[in-house]
Amino acid sequence: MIEVVLMIVIYSLLSLSPWILSFIGTLLYQPAKKKKLEQRVQNSVRGGDNLSTLSKPLSGKEVKHSQMVMANVVMSPSWVQLFIGFFISIFGGEIRVFTKVVDWARCEAQQRLRESVAAAGFDELINMRLETTMLTRARRGEDKTSGVEILAYGTAIKY
Amino acid sequence: MQPALNLMFSNTETIPGTTIVESMGVVTGSTVRAKNVFKDIGAGLKNIVGGELKAYTELLQESRNEALYRMLSEAQSRGANAVVNVRFATSSVAGGASELLAYGTAVTVQ
Repeated sequence: MIEVVLMIVIYSLLSLSPWILSFIGTLLYQPAKKKKLEQRVQNSVRGGDNLSTLSKPLSGKEVKHSQMVMANVVMSPSWVQLFIGFFISIFGGEIRVFTKVVDWARCEAQQRLRESVAAAGFDELINMRLETTMLTRARRGEDKTSGVEILAYGTAIKY
Repeated sequence: MQPALNLMFSNTETIPGTTIVESMGVVTGSTVRAKNVFKDIGAGLKNIVGGELKAYTELLQESRNEALYRMLSEAQSRGANAVVNVRFATSSVAGGASELLAYGTAVTVQ
């Protein structure tokens, strides 16, 4: 009798393990990552943000050197988020779980751009553009979305 | 990877600090890539938890550099020494492949 109960418990744990992992990922891993990112953003924008979408530098100084820089990030929502998103999309309205995911990715891409601009010794980045793409994966003859790619690029300049 | 081409490129209308002498028309470079099956499985596992898919990030970065390189070599073969107003476009083709396109205007600058 006890073996049967044990079997059922183990079996259900095994089959539920992706969902348990997904819950852990959604409730612990993703917020922790977001907090870390916010810290990084605050550290690098302290003395003024070095990104801008203007096509010319605002200071009007003479530019000595310029180079194009890009940064990208691919991210995917977790199963739990997909499930919630599917559920909310029946009724319509804002799907906040997806907003969070895309926001995070966009913030991360911009932060990577900031860091690579600073690491290469440039003073500022002008004409920044953001681009979003859906990535698909073939499964059973269908194309399923597997992630969202955010690309941030611009021209880094040195005075 | 590829040898670096001695061309300037920028996504602004001019290369800052130079003047455009001559325009050589639009140049494009594109590549269609698919990830391999093992990376796909790894990404599928990461999909459960959610978060960044590093394998795809790297793959797209590599392929975008390739597209950029093709665009620059076309510009070089036309005799230009810079490409301005570079834009990127990405689209997903059926079967899990993505197409990466880079395009811009080839110019001679001084």
